[in-house]
Amino acid sequence: MTVRKLALLAVAVVAAFACGTASSGPTTGSTITLGAPLGLTGSLTKESILTQQGYNLWQDWINARGGILVGGVKHPVVIKYYDDTSSANQSAVLMQKLITEDKAQFLLGPYGSAATATDAAIAEQNQIPMVEANGAAQSIFNQGYKYTFGVLSPANKYLQGVIDMAATLNPKPTTVFMLSADDNFSLEVANAIVTYAPTKGMTVFPVKKYKNGATNLSAEVQAAKAANADIVLNSGHLQEAIAINKAAKEQKLNAKIFAYSVGPSTPDFIAALGKDADYVYDGSQWTPQVKYTPAFYLTVAQYVAAYKAKYPGLGDPDYHVAESTAACLALQRAIENAGSLDAKKVRDALAALDVTVFFGQIKFDTRGINIYKPMVVEQIQSGVHHTVFPSNIADAQPMYPTPNWDQR
Amino acid sequence: MIAGAIIATYALLAPLTSLDAVQSAGVPLLADKLWFRIATYIAMFMVMATAWNIIGGITGYAAFGNVAFFGIGAYTTGMLVAKAKWPFLAALPLAPVVASAFAALIGLPLLRLRGHYFAVASLGVGVAVGELVQNIDYAGQPLFGGASGLFLPILSIDNRGLFFFYLMLAAAAIAIAVTWWVLRSRFGYGLIAIRENEEAASVIGVNTTAYKVGAFALAAALTGLAGGIFSQWNVFINQDNAFPIEYNVQMILMALIGGTGTVFGPAAGAVLLQLLIQFLGGSLPISFDIPFVSTDARPIVAQVILGVLLVVVVIFMPRGVIDFFGGRSRLSLSYLRRSLRETSL
Repeated sequence: MTVRKLALLAVAVVAAFACGTASSGPTTGSTITLGAPLGLTGSLTKESILTQQGYNLWQDWINARGGILVGGVKHPVVIKYYDDTSSANQSAVLMQKLITEDKAQFLLGPYGSAATATDAAIAEQNQIPMVEANGAAQSIFNQGYKYTFGVLSPANKYLQGVIDMAATLNPKPTTVFMLSADDNFSLEVANAIVTYAPTKGMTVFPVKKYKNGATNLSAEVQAAKAANADIVLNSGHLQEAIAINKAAKEQKLNAKIFAYSVGPSTPDFIAALGKDADYVYDGSQWTPQVKYTPAFYLTVAQYVAAYKAKYPGLGDPDYHVAESTAACLALQRAIENAGSLDAKKVRDALAALDVTVFFGQIKFDTRGINIYKPMVVEQIQSGVHHTVFPSNIADAQPMYPTPNWDQR
Repeated sequence: MIAGAIIATYALLAPLTSLDAVQSAGVPLLADKLWFRIATYIAMFMVMATAWNIIGGITGYAAFGNVAFFGIGAYTTGMLVAKAKWPFLAALPLAPVVASAFAALIGLPLLRLRGHYFAVASLGVGVAVGELVQNIDYAGQPLFGGASGLFLPILSIDNRGLFFFYLMLAAAAIAIAVTWWVLRSRFGYGLIAIRENEEAASVIGVNTTAYKVGAFALAAALTGLAGGIFSQWNVFINQDNAFPIEYNVQMILMALIGGTGTVFGPAAGAVLLQLLIQFLGGSLPISFDIPFVSTDARPIVAQVILGVLLVVVVIFMPRGVIDFFGGRSRLSLSYLRRSLRETSL
């Protein structure tokens, strides 16, 4: 019985293989090696694994199609990873190893602005293009580097969408209180609001800085309450966003809008706060609700389905996954457009790239960062994430103004 | 000694890399930017471990915050190159000057402490300086690049990797030469006297404060020099990579493994330990599987191995591996038993 089953299976496999090879038109060329050091252990493990998931989703997809098409020849792709233990210095050593030992022809970015900054210098010195999706600090792109491209919106855009949205609301909020952690990414987000909000007719109180990773933020929330601003913004991370929201409830800090740069988009935020998470906004690179018409690869719905099929039990893909896949797509399309595997030609093709995928428009300014894709504003409504801005890709209206704590 | 010989051979042969013929021939160690990067790291730790030896090994003050001087050196050069647009080679000499001036300043109060108190206070300085550099603002703008760090322009020279390797190796040679001089000078005898018995040294006329501060400043100058080279070599510096806490432990461990108080011990320890760290971190081109350890667990196992190594070395080899070179001692069971007796209370 088992022997017969096995035999049948073998026949089926052989048949499938035969069909596969028979139907493929272009010939198969050399394998393209891509390299990426990631913090698979250490403090950035969680985000690095999301990044790797995004890369792997594309790798599976492109190899199922035989590889990247260059001049009528399909080149399969292998992505080589190393664990940089979340250390930027180690990331640079491993980047060099990927280039010299593993002969990586193109590079994908590590996780985080610090490692991306160090690795960008390595890519530049070796003249190998690096497409990255997880280093949003603009300082990386202000160095005149020619070989680093970031598909994500830069840090200064993170909360601008919230201000843009607020400007359309009625009654229009006019005062902004800005809290910020003191790391490079968070401060860039905060400083951008200080210069941007006045252009929309809003006044901003001086930024209230706190130590990155702080767990007790009651003094900062007290300062926000004293200012009595319409909008309370935080530029920080998940833990700090949770701490601020808890303190806001305890101290009855009432604002028309609470918006946090990073944190509310993750399931952990709702799990930690329950009903108190409602009405909170965040700026997100991408949400599973966005409506973009892709020129190639999957639609948004297909992408979400593909993620759930490969990584069951993890819920919807987070924006870190989506932007990482988008980096691969940018590289793929640039190689196809260049019609060559030459590093210089692919770099030029990346610089000229303008394509829309499930993640949004990918186009780089002269510095190499994608300033053309808008950030999305999400709001938690009855425990569910909804995209509320820009309105042409939104799936719900913003619930505005946020009710006072004692009226919830 | 073997590792030292490899480095020496490598240093002698490295100039050949500029020849295209050698590069196209693909001689493994010579045509390889990865090796340059790792070799430069090794030389960098040779400087730091040798410098630590002056205050920690010769003077006997367990300084746990020397990374502060590394960071100060890195930021001195970094600020001058990135903000004041100085040429790198003009900015580099100021790295040791600023680092040693800072060490002299904090050394005066800090070196009044002894034993654990000094170790803890110096560790505090190491952490505090990094935080200050990141958070000091001037006129609303971060003075030292703040959390965004500093980007230095990439040096436009041929064979950049080779240049920085030689520069770092020269710094290591300077550090070793300085140690050699210290151990043969009146200054060095004073430091050893302080290590063995500070009161007695004072009684026989050693100006202990001046000697201790001098040793601290000397160690800081050398460490700062390494930091200054690092900033231009790495192109990007921020609090994380200019003030890494783990460097404090690594440089001490290297000096201990090699042999504290000796001329070549710390440098030998740096070669051994940095090769081990790079190997465990998976960045060496010669990599093989560690039995029973999956690749995912390697970085964690690396930390465990380093910790165990520290304990074993401190207990069984208090004079370091350098003790076995040149026929002074032989590694034997009786040597280990004698060491155990010496290190037991």
